[in-house]
Amino acid sequence: MIAALAAALATAAGPPSPPLPPSPAASSTPVISAALTDTNVQVKSDFRGARIVLYGAVFDAAARPSDVVILVRGPEQPVRLTRKQKVAGLWLNSRPVVFRGAPGFYRAASNRPLEDIANFGVLRRLGAGVDHLAINAPEEQRTETRYGVKDVVVSRLGSDYYVWRRAVVRLKEKAGLYHEDDEGVRFVDRGLFRAEIALPTGAPTGVYRADILLFQNGVAVSRRTLTLTVEKVGLERALYVWAHERPWSYGLAAMAFAMLAGWAASAAFRRD
Amino acid sequence: MDIYLPIAEVAVNAPLIVALGALVGFISGMFGIGGGFLMTPMLVFLGIPAPVAVSSMANHVAASSMSSVIAYSRRKAVDLRMGAVLAAGGVAGAFLGVELFRWLRLLGQADLVVALSYLLFLTVIGGLMLIESLGTILRRRRGEAPPPRRDRRPVWLYGLPFKMRFPRSRLYISVIPPVLLGAFVGVLSAIMGVGGGFILVPAMIYVLRMPAGMVVGTSLLQIIITAGLTGVLQAGRNQTVDIVLATLLLLGGIVGAQFGARASSRFRAEELRAILALIVLMVGLRMGLGLFLTPDEPFVLLSGANG
Repeated sequence: MIAALAAALATAAGPPSPPLPPSPAASSTPVISAALTDTNVQVKSDFRGARIVLYGAVFDAAARPSDVVILVRGPEQPVRLTRKQKVAGLWLNSRPVVFRGAPGFYRAASNRPLEDIANFGVLRRLGAGVDHLAINAPEEQRTETRYGVKDVVVSRLGSDYYVWRRAVVRLKEKAGLYHEDDEGVRFVDRGLFRAEIALPTGAPTGVYRADILLFQNGVAVSRRTLTLTVEKVGLERALYVWAHERPWSYGLAAMAFAMLAGWAASAAFRRD
Repeated sequence: MDIYLPIAEVAVNAPLIVALGALVGFISGMFGIGGGFLMTPMLVFLGIPAPVAVSSMANHVAASSMSSVIAYSRRKAVDLRMGAVLAAGGVAGAFLGVELFRWLRLLGQADLVVALSYLLFLTVIGGLMLIESLGTILRRRRGEAPPPRRDRRPVWLYGLPFKMRFPRSRLYISVIPPVLLGAFVGVLSAIMGVGGGFILVPAMIYVLRMPAGMVVGTSLLQIIITAGLTGVLQAGRNQTVDIVLATLLLLGGIVGAQFGARASSRFRAEELRAILALIVLMVGLRMGLGLFLTPDEPFVLLSGANG
């Protein structure tokens, strides 16, 4: 029956079919397999975000209880954050803090809450869940010797550090760029699961990495990694590349175009 | 119909942006101003990143000023020499302003300076304009004669060196005040995403004492040169000019400006000034409000993490 499922999956995923995992009967170790319906998202003038379906299956001859965690990470984008502070009755921005290691897009999906699937240390090491993302502000840190212990990392933000870090996640969630969904993976049949990755309009371009992890008994026993490319195409790409690689010629051309348009308009509406 | 802006990297509703361009164009044609002070805050409100809104406005301002300046020059209402002197200052101001804006963005204080500039300049200018225009309206209602224009020219304007003759404006003054004025407006245009007509026009009338007929056309010439340079500098230094956004705004703006110019002939000048003063005041107060209200979200993400 599992072999039939694998065959069905191969057709559902469409070409190119993922390499089939070793025959379940031959090995006793559980294996996870997955594929994306679309591995290349094109950003055109009508781009309003995209929904990508991820299909996968768990092959486990022993049929042990399994959990599936999907982590999708976009290209890294440093984050600059400022906090509004009341100074003399006015709300002013504080000095900005730069956080490194933050993915431009992050989605964690699982079939049940992450903390029920694995313990804190496991989740932390994998960066599973928005609270476990490896985001830090290296420019705010320095190492010093405290209580005789060498190289203790101290942040200038002090205990506020966690407030800042949570703010990064909160603002990214608000922009639809970070999301954690503990019902995001649905088992549609025995061993066969499905998840959706929603890319917002503001999703950064670049290579995305999706890690599909199989957990049994709180341990990640199998992993499959897929990549997904989000790229601008057509006129959008041409303009973007032009503006960033030859900014001066782009600026001159844009201005010449604007002035020409203004002149053309006055000629068209000439009243005398 | 949504359209994705390649530089701003957000999708906007295209008809809405064109309509916004038309509305601001109407106001700008009606009052003879660029309208940047209205458009930039609205674009930011629609979710376009502030640096992109400010920079792309330079292109829009240059285009819409271009479409009006030709009409003024046909009527010989442009003082080319004064325009050139103002623009010389404007060029220096634009260079300074673009670098200043870049530095403020790195410090994370760009929003603050933009909000403060709006609050300060718009409320002061709007307030002064409102008082002046209401005074004129009241005097006319009461049937009083307008107060004689003080023709005493300020000493500092004439005592300064580097005097130059401006035959069209019938002036013989030092070039220092117009150069400084041009530079100041150039800095503002880079920081606030405005053409600066709302400061330039009153300053040319009340400080430089130029004849009223020359003021609008000449200020438009200075604005084209300054905004043209600002747009190129913003694109070159900050890569924040979105040509798709500027084009959408233009489509509406050009048509709106023509209708606005026609509508303006139905109102008296002081009534127009009073309405404009109210709009200017409201925008200034709205922009400054954020400085005084407790924010819902104390943290703000800044754009341009790599500087």
